[in-house]
Amino acid sequence: MSAIPHDHAVGQNEDHGHDDHGHHPTGIMRWITTTNHKDIGTLYLLFSLTMFFVGGCMALTIRAELFQPGLQIVHPEFFNSLTTLHGLIMIFGAIMPAAVGFANWQVPLMIGAPDMAFARMNNWSFWLLPPAAFMLILSFFVPGGAAAGGWTLYPPLSVQAGMGMDLTIFAVHIMGASSIMGSINIITTILNMRAPGMTLMKMPMFCWTWLITAYLLIAVMPVLAGSVTMLLTDRHFGTSFFNAAGGGDPVLFQHVFWFFGHPEVYIMILPSFGIISQIIPTFARKPLFGYASMVYAVASIAILSFIVWAHHMFTVGMPAAGLLFFMYATMLIAVPTGVKVFNWLATMWQGSMTFETPMLFAIGFLFLFTMGGFTGLVLALTPIDIQLQDTYYVVAHFHYVLVAGSLFAFFAGAYYWLPKWTGTMYNEKLGQWHFWASMIFFNITFFPMHFLGVAGMPRRIPDYAQQFADWNMVASVGAFGFGLSQLIFVIALVKCIRGDGAKAPAKPWEGADTLEWTLPSPVPYHTFETPPVVQ
Amino acid sequence: MTAQITPGTDGARLRHANLRTALAVALIAVLFFVGVIASQFVGNSAVGMSVVAAAVLVFLAVAIGRNLRK
Repeated sequence: MSAIPHDHAVGQNEDHGHDDHGHHPTGIMRWITTTNHKDIGTLYLLFSLTMFFVGGCMALTIRAELFQPGLQIVHPEFFNSLTTLHGLIMIFGAIMPAAVGFANWQVPLMIGAPDMAFARMNNWSFWLLPPAAFMLILSFFVPGGAAAGGWTLYPPLSVQAGMGMDLTIFAVHIMGASSIMGSINIITTILNMRAPGMTLMKMPMFCWTWLITAYLLIAVMPVLAGSVTMLLTDRHFGTSFFNAAGGGDPVLFQHVFWFFGHPEVYIMILPSFGIISQIIPTFARKPLFGYASMVYAVASIAILSFIVWAHHMFTVGMPAAGLLFFMYATMLIAVPTGVKVFNWLATMWQGSMTFETPMLFAIGFLFLFTMGGFTGLVLALTPIDIQLQDTYYVVAHFHYVLVAGSLFAFFAGAYYWLPKWTGTMYNEKLGQWHFWASMIFFNITFFPMHFLGVAGMPRRIPDYAQQFADWNMVASVGAFGFGLSQLIFVIALVKCIRGDGAKAPAKPWEGADTLEWTLPSPVPYHTFETPPVVQ
Repeated sequence: MTAQITPGTDGARLRHANLRTALAVALIAVLFFVGVIASQFVGNSAVGMSVVAAAVLVFLAVAIGRNLRK
């Protein structure tokens, strides 16, 4: 990605805010010591892609085990560890870092800032991640194995588990610190470093979604850190916050965890909304329909996300008033989400559309995310959720939201901005193959899970009854197809990085109108040192 | 079109503004971290978290609201 030469800079101003102009480390030291937002964005994105494949291999092992009933490939304990670590790695190692990578690359370029506000802290934010990921993976090899109680780390299993749980808690702490530092950087950059004339209400939607996401992170990551700290003290320091044996309340952990966990869902999806809101107007060659309503919809979703956490725990026992409140509050989120989907469709309406790979992924996102949203609405209904709790219906729902939602949007964003980042156009044929293979195999994998869930197949089990065999076989075949399809993206990416393709012009997309497209491709190492003025 | 900035004063002002914003945001994070543990100690998590959440929402409204027209 960064085939960007170090001395390729634009702008004349000598007050750079950080000191990497005069002496440029090269080789590995460039990447370790870099304070440049583009380098750090590249690091985040490559890290996230690596972790995506690590988590993906775990998913494929899970699906291989579930190909047919009975225990064939892995022990049940290891299977439980795989489901737990697959979730943690995909959420904290793949999706969130990818979103931060896009923010690092794009936010300064889109608001006309020379870099992030705290460049050195930005470097730290990234370099905390690899040790945390290493610890998570290392936990497979310690006595007792990796955490196996699910990514939600519910007690009592998490209080009783072995040393792998301590490594997981430590990793979560470190990744939380990284996210908080990244969020502070993004909020400060957006609030203080916008180019003259770039009012908040003129900002590209991607920046808006990230500003709100960063606030969500600031509010909820400390809650997660607090809850796992209490878990740690329960495990080792004799407290009994969640330990029922000492008078603690395990259900309390669920409340605290989901106070983090539900906004976390929006932390993973809001940046994707931002990317889609950039891509659809570009390829429809029309301005985004209802910009202000999009901003307010994102803010509404973020605020509502704080008051719906208990819909994840309808079955733990709650007063009827509580059930009703959380059910209606959850259903309320469909309103701002519906506004967004309506506005994306209205943007496309009578647009002069073309269907290059970014637009295909954006439309795929729109179609599948809406399906995931609808199944979320089904799960919001308390009586139905009580039936479907912890079944494969839930697995299908959140994979429609997070894979076809977040991941498809990130692929859309990657294809959209790769020409700007690398200076080389991606191979359109490979991109189209990647999209169609992903779209088909994704649905083969996850659509049957709705049937399995409705039929009552519980999640997180290595074995199942005979009547679930057929759809599990289909899902496993689809999963391997989906996994292999992602190799097409790697090929397209490597070709771009190596410059194997047509040279990208400054503005390869006719309908693009944000500030980054005023810069040459590949984007210079230093940009907007003299701020542009936005009319 | 580009805007010229004066390196000395504008740079210092920006650094101070950045630091102020970062400290305010970091304070929210610390409040939530301490708040969630403290509220469990006190035994009334609903009140504790509501106070913290209200404080944060007011901060957000002020912080983003005052920037809307800038």
